Amino acid sequence: MRKFLAVVKHEYKKIVLKWAFLVGTLLFPVLGAGFAIVPAFIFSIKGEPTRIAIVDSTQKIAPRIKENLSAERVDAIANEAAKPSAEDLTASQSDQIRKNSRRAIVGFKFIDYVPGGKSLDEIRSELNRMAADGTIDAYLLVPVDTEESGAKFEFRSRKAGDFVAGELLREAVNSAVRSQRLADANISEAAVKELSKNVPLESKSIDEKGQEKDSDMLLAAAFVIGLMIYITLAIYGQVIMGAVIEEKETRIAEILFSSARPFELMFGKLVGVGLAGLTQLSIWIISIAGLVAFLATRSDILPFFEGIPQITPLMILYFLIFFLLGFFVYASIFALIGSVVTTVQEGGQFAFPPIMILLIGFYFTFAVIRDPNSSLSFWVSIAPFFAPITMPVRILAETPPFWQIGLSILINMAAIAGLVWLASRVYRVGMLMYGKRATVPEVWKWIRQP
Amino acid sequence: MNESDVSLCIDSVTKRFGDFSAVENLTFNVRRGRVFGFLGPNGAGKTTTIRMIVGITAPDKGVIELFGQRMSPDLQNRIGYLPEERGLYKKMKIVDQLRYFAALKNVPRALADERIDQWLERMNLTEWKTKKTTDLSKGMQQKIQFISTVLHDPDLLILDEPFSGLDPINVEFMIEVMSEFKKQDKTIIFSTHLMESAERLCNDILLINKSRKVISGSLREVKASYGKNLIALRSIGGDKVLEDRTLIEKVVEHSDEKVLQLLPDADAQLLLKRLLENGAVITKFERVEPSLNDIFIDQISGGRQN
Repeated sequence: MRKFLAVVKHEYKKIVLKWAFLVGTLLFPVLGAGFAIVPAFIFSIKGEPTRIAIVDSTQKIAPRIKENLSAERVDAIANEAAKPSAEDLTASQSDQIRKNSRRAIVGFKFIDYVPGGKSLDEIRSELNRMAADGTIDAYLLVPVDTEESGAKFEFRSRKAGDFVAGELLREAVNSAVRSQRLADANISEAAVKELSKNVPLESKSIDEKGQEKDSDMLLAAAFVIGLMIYITLAIYGQVIMGAVIEEKETRIAEILFSSARPFELMFGKLVGVGLAGLTQLSIWIISIAGLVAFLATRSDILPFFEGIPQITPLMILYFLIFFLLGFFVYASIFALIGSVVTTVQEGGQFAFPPIMILLIGFYFTFAVIRDPNSSLSFWVSIAPFFAPITMPVRILAETPPFWQIGLSILINMAAIAGLVWLASRVYRVGMLMYGKRATVPEVWKWIRQP
Repeated sequence: MNESDVSLCIDSVTKRFGDFSAVENLTFNVRRGRVFGFLGPNGAGKTTTIRMIVGITAPDKGVIELFGQRMSPDLQNRIGYLPEERGLYKKMKIVDQLRYFAALKNVPRALADERIDQWLERMNLTEWKTKKTTDLSKGMQQKIQFISTVLHDPDLLILDEPFSGLDPINVEFMIEVMSEFKKQDKTIIFSTHLMESAERLCNDILLINKSRKVISGSLREVKASYGKNLIALRSIGGDKVLEDRTLIEKVVEHSDEKVLQLLPDADAQLLLKRLLENGAVITKFERVEPSLNDIFIDQISGGRQN
């Protein structure tokens, strides 16, 4: 037992006290934070106001467009758009929406331009010149007769890529023309709006306790969890393989085997590396939890995180349990491969099949996310090899009854017992076989050897 | 031989791998406080035998007793084994590796640290304590490996080709360390291809070939039983006598003398008489023992069975 613990400690320290571990551990949350914060930050940067000249010889449409682009109107539109899901918005959140919309409004500044009886071509070339020398950024030519079949609004801008402003303008123009048409036809605008109001369609999923939860962010979170477990299993499995091959290649195995039982050595290695993986995963989960908690205090980015599923401590416990199950399944396979091959390169080739199985498990998570209660989801979340990835995703998407989780844990523990036994049989012989890679019949013989 | 004088007792041990018999019905004893030379050509079964002694593999048949007990994992803590093919963790600090190897022999941490410092000091490697293996020269790595073999102060030391890769100064140093162990009444099993070293260091030898024992006994006995009929001769003239195959079996020319192997029942006195009768001027006529090297070659190349 003391020797076993010595092996565990040795393997754990060998990984955790390395720079690569520190960098990997820190880099992941930093990258994650980067993906979450940077886009939000970039979109919140104010642009220079777009100076726009509107040329409307009839003077019917232009005032409506200007009005549509006024601060009050844009505010109203934004609130309207947010309404279906905004019934229970807190004060700070609706404040947030207002701020966002103001940000966009600052985007337009109307430049007075008097055409003064010039021809359309002359106006165009004059405005183009003004845009070129920087007096204006954009102009909009309103056709004389908007109802004519070939009539088109001409919008020319130096900032072709400013899609936020472009979108607002398009809506403002459409709405202005629509209002004008209604006015021409003597129809009350308010009546039309009332009649064409959207039917509210609320989309939420229901969990097993009959509670509602938002489904959009849930998919993203489930995907992230699946990916995280897949990556850690693949990385730590190969860490095991590398460690086994190093001891075989350098012949340290000979010294180790003369000091401790092969099973102690192999299982100690699995446990030590597994704990290192658990350490890293825990740091990640804690820092993600910390990050979410921090973001919750920053109301200006909060809307981006609206609807992230509630992750309970029990779920975290499940994730860690399933990570460990997956780790022992794959690590024992990788340990077996490591003790059969002779070099790291050779090991790399043989690592392909287990990585493929892992990848298939990861792909199954999509099926699980789409329908956590299908029979496919049930089977892949209790099957060995796949369950360590699919079950945590399923728990997050929609926690299955406890007996299914328990069954999955039991089945995978049985698989681990079998695989560890198999790997240790191969390990004790393979580690002392130098020179050439063992063939399958040879490995089979080692397994049956007393 | 007293029971307590025997450290290791190998009794009719057989180990087979499939159809191949690596060790066949091998029996020998290793006495306490002695250096035991375990000799044999490549593939004779040495490594397999050593692996069984240190408990890496178990024999198919026969019994291995160490210090009067059947081999068990606990006894592994009393053996220090330096394998022929050995290595260190490439990217780990020397001190961490040594601590790990000591921990695997159940040496308490504080004691291990103390011994590591002592040994590094003795080997002039103190400044390399926190360096990594890749920073060390081959010879330094050899010395570190040796330290890892003795950190738990073993009662039985098994050294497989301990001198390979060492310069003559370090070889002398290792020999000094070995003789210290011997003085402490510890047992050393010394396996090598270098017959000169074996001849110099061993009290007892065992020669195995093709998985079977060929010769065993104290070095003195073995040589004595072998060396009755070897004559070292330095002379001028009398060459005709040396061609007489009724007396002499073989003549081996050395740089300044000849070694004559007489027929088993030939009389050396008669040879001397003949030489003198033929007018040879003799400056050296000496009965010599065969070198271990001679015995090895003679036995392994399938020559005469003694």
